[in-house]
Amino acid sequence: MKYGWMILLFFSLLPGCGENGSAIKVDLTKKEMVILKEEPDVITYAYLPQYSHTVSHTRHHSLIQYLKKETGLNIKQIFPDTFDEHMKMVGQKKIDISFSNPFIYIKISQRYGANAFARIIEMNGKDKFSGQIICRADNASIQTLSDCRNKSWIAVDSTSAGGYLFPLGHFIDHGIIKKDFREIAFSPGPGGKQEKVVLSVYAGKYDIGTIREGTLDVVSDKIEINKIKIISMTDQYPGWMYAARKNLNKKIVEKILEAFEKLDFNNKTHREILESANFIKVIASTDSDFDIVRQLAAKVGISLEE
Amino acid sequence: MKLGFRSKIYLGFFSLLLIQGLVIFFWTSQVMKTSLLEEIQNRGISIGINLSARMVEPMLAMDFLRMKVLVDETVELGDDIFYTFVLDRDGNPLIHTFKEGFPIALKTANYVLDNQKVSMRLLDIGDQLIYDYAVPVFINDNRLGTLRLGLFQTQAEKAVDKILISAIITIVSAIFVAGIVGTMLLNPMTKSIKKLHDSSEQALRGNLDVRTAPMLKKNCWDLMQCHQKECPAYKNYHHRCWYMAGTLCPTCVEGEYAKKIDSCRQCQVYKRFSGNEIQSLAESFDAMTLSLKGNLSDLKAAESILNEQKALLQTTLDAIPDFISLQDHEGRYVSVNRGFCKMLDKKKEEIVGKTNDDLFSRIQADQYNKEDKSIFETRIPLVKENKMAGSKGMKWLHVVKIPVLETKNRVKGLVCSGRDITELKVVQEQLTQAQKMESVGRLAAGVAHEINTPLGIILGYAQLLLEDVEKDGQIYKDVSTIAKQTKLCSKIVADLLNFSRSSQSIISEFDINEAIKEVLDMVEHTFSLNHVIVKHEYDKVPLLMRGDKEKLKQVFINLSNNAFDAIEKNGSILFKTEPGEIHNEIKISISDTGCGISKDNIRKIFEPFYTTKGPDQGTGLGLSVTFGIIKEHNGTIKVYSPPLSGKKEEKGTQFIVVLPSGLNTKKGEING
Repeated sequence: MKYGWMILLFFSLLPGCGENGSAIKVDLTKKEMVILKEEPDVITYAYLPQYSHTVSHTRHHSLIQYLKKETGLNIKQIFPDTFDEHMKMVGQKKIDISFSNPFIYIKISQRYGANAFARIIEMNGKDKFSGQIICRADNASIQTLSDCRNKSWIAVDSTSAGGYLFPLGHFIDHGIIKKDFREIAFSPGPGGKQEKVVLSVYAGKYDIGTIREGTLDVVSDKIEINKIKIISMTDQYPGWMYAARKNLNKKIVEKILEAFEKLDFNNKTHREILESANFIKVIASTDSDFDIVRQLAAKVGISLEE
Repeated sequence: MKLGFRSKIYLGFFSLLLIQGLVIFFWTSQVMKTSLLEEIQNRGISIGINLSARMVEPMLAMDFLRMKVLVDETVELGDDIFYTFVLDRDGNPLIHTFKEGFPIALKTANYVLDNQKVSMRLLDIGDQLIYDYAVPVFINDNRLGTLRLGLFQTQAEKAVDKILISAIITIVSAIFVAGIVGTMLLNPMTKSIKKLHDSSEQALRGNLDVRTAPMLKKNCWDLMQCHQKECPAYKNYHHRCWYMAGTLCPTCVEGEYAKKIDSCRQCQVYKRFSGNEIQSLAESFDAMTLSLKGNLSDLKAAESILNEQKALLQTTLDAIPDFISLQDHEGRYVSVNRGFCKMLDKKKEEIVGKTNDDLFSRIQADQYNKEDKSIFETRIPLVKENKMAGSKGMKWLHVVKIPVLETKNRVKGLVCSGRDITELKVVQEQLTQAQKMESVGRLAAGVAHEINTPLGIILGYAQLLLEDVEKDGQIYKDVSTIAKQTKLCSKIVADLLNFSRSSQSIISEFDINEAIKEVLDMVEHTFSLNHVIVKHEYDKVPLLMRGDKEKLKQVFINLSNNAFDAIEKNGSILFKTEPGEIHNEIKISISDTGCGISKDNIRKIFEPFYTTKGPDQGTGLGLSVTFGIIKEHNGTIKVYSPPLSGKKEEKGTQFIVVLPSGLNTKKGEING
């Protein structure tokens, strides 16, 4: 056939037009309504969202697994988005165990009757911590604390201890009041608020920022730390603590405290848990340990009920 | 019907474009489709992974609003995204984008392992095909759940189809544009070729006045500002100057195209006006036909002359009585003349192309082939006399075979010329005979002259003795015998002298009938004794002639005696006289009913001393003397056995003597 080769060519090209592959048949007509099933006997554990949920999860996931195993309780970490939400959830009994800073604690203690039962020893071995006032290292106009007047200030949150309350007390002790600042802003939420303060100062959006000590280490992989200068450190106050919501079964609290006290930094498994959580030890604590914080709040004029 | 050149060009051109287009389309479409589908699939993966990362925080916070916003925003990203939903670590749906309830079957339709980045499956939901992506939602090593994303495959197909349609439109447009451009380029070319083809057909039909190239617009005389009207290129709008011989441009080289073209290429006229290949082809074709026309005219004239010469040569060859033939190097007859055809009694067409083996008997053919081979090898011509049997008896041929040399050492063919020399041969034999007889005659005359005197003395003394002795005595008888025999000897001597023409002739005017009558009166009685009847049929009028009556009577006596001897007993002899066929000729016929003469003897009967008679019955000189006397009278004698007038089975002999009357001739012209 004279033109057979053309037909052959045509048909040899045809397979290029087809679609191959096998599909799984799925019937979309059968449907169900989505209902979230609440787990029974869950002990909710929340980390005050000073960092992102991911950081919170990363830091405390191993610890919670340890507590679950050690206490036999169904402990589940939940992630409130804001400090306020965290506090409210304590009041609503949605958070059974609250890991928060002392400033929040005195608030939830005041508002919702939460009770402190343990506090941590920081990685530096201290059971207290301080706040830091930072600015850009190349900002020549800010050399001392008094240079902070008429400057824009970004703080972590109005409920933040190391990131607002401690520095505010520190400014007042040095004769600088809120009105002396050109602007006082708070880090946008939710989560990651400490990091956002550092990033805002680093970006030059605000002249100074206030953070709790240790935050710079957290953001060291995001920015050049040497471009940030610490203007001043606040006094030391009791560090982060554990509080049980009002009316939480005391046995549960005891079990948890017991498990906390068992954590030994020298134990390899425990050390990994503790390092992940960014502290070296958890010790028993009582509400009176935080009176000094209550005094600070009173000094700066913050109402615990607000 | 076969496609024309133009159709073939167009068909080939469009076929090529179409094939190229199809190949490009199918090949690129496949590549495009694959890469596009891959891109679409990658897009799904990308959206899934991205959404999975963004879903971590809301999932940790169990923020259903944010989760809902995220999945809804994702679905709104494009029409091709069918659904998005999130399953918890136990595979239960947390959030989804379906309006009325969650399709149960979707939960297990796709699953991704912890160590997998993503899992994609093609789902058939009845009227649509869905690419379903399952992406795990991890926080560190802790799996929070699974994100699922559904993309319409049909939407992807539509996107692919859109691109394919665009590709088809582009290719078709390209083919169309290429076709238009190609047509614009090809049209003048195919037109020119068509015209060239038409012109070539015209030329083949004999019309050499063709105009293939378009009329010239730019011309040499304008460029060169030339006004030479004698130049063949001047005002010639149909042929370029470089194709024409005899142009008068000072830069032109004389001669035809082949001689001048090299110099013409340097000329500005050529550089400016020589067109493209097709136009040049058309112009050269016109020039070629023009040249061909001239050459053809010359050729026709030459052919006419050649044909004339050929006809003349053939006429000349045919007019020659000799036969002429030409053979090629294989011995095959190439050309023959009429004489050759006549000799073989065949037509020319029956001879040309044949060999000796086809035309002659085996023996003859072998002989001729041998001769031919020898000539081809030695290149030496052959001259011979050939005796061959023809339709009219034996023939003598004088044959010359000459080799035709192609080169010094190579023989191309063979020319053979032959002549019928049968008559010449006869004359030669007669001449030989005459010379022989003349010699014998001279010898006999000499002998006779010497013997005649002693014989006279013997006869004289014998007669004297007879007078002296008694007539009754024995001596008288003996002497009488001597005298008688001496007289016989004298007669023989006289005959010999007659034969040698040494005897004197006495010329007179007489009637031949009378002379014959005198002879017959003398012999009639003797012959009748042996029952031989002598008849005569004389012409009614006297047949007068001038000659030696006695010698002629001797002729008739000799012929009648020979006739009598041939009859021996019981027969007849007829003497018949009549005027000859030519004026002033007398024809005498003497025929007998005797035993006749054999074919072998008939040619020898006029030779001297040739006789078939016994020793004492003849001298063998009778017919020789007769022949001599007739020759002396410028006549002829012919012998026929059996007689001409008789039937073939009849025996006998007829002598026909034709003599000129001699009456209109002057005296003394007769030999003697």
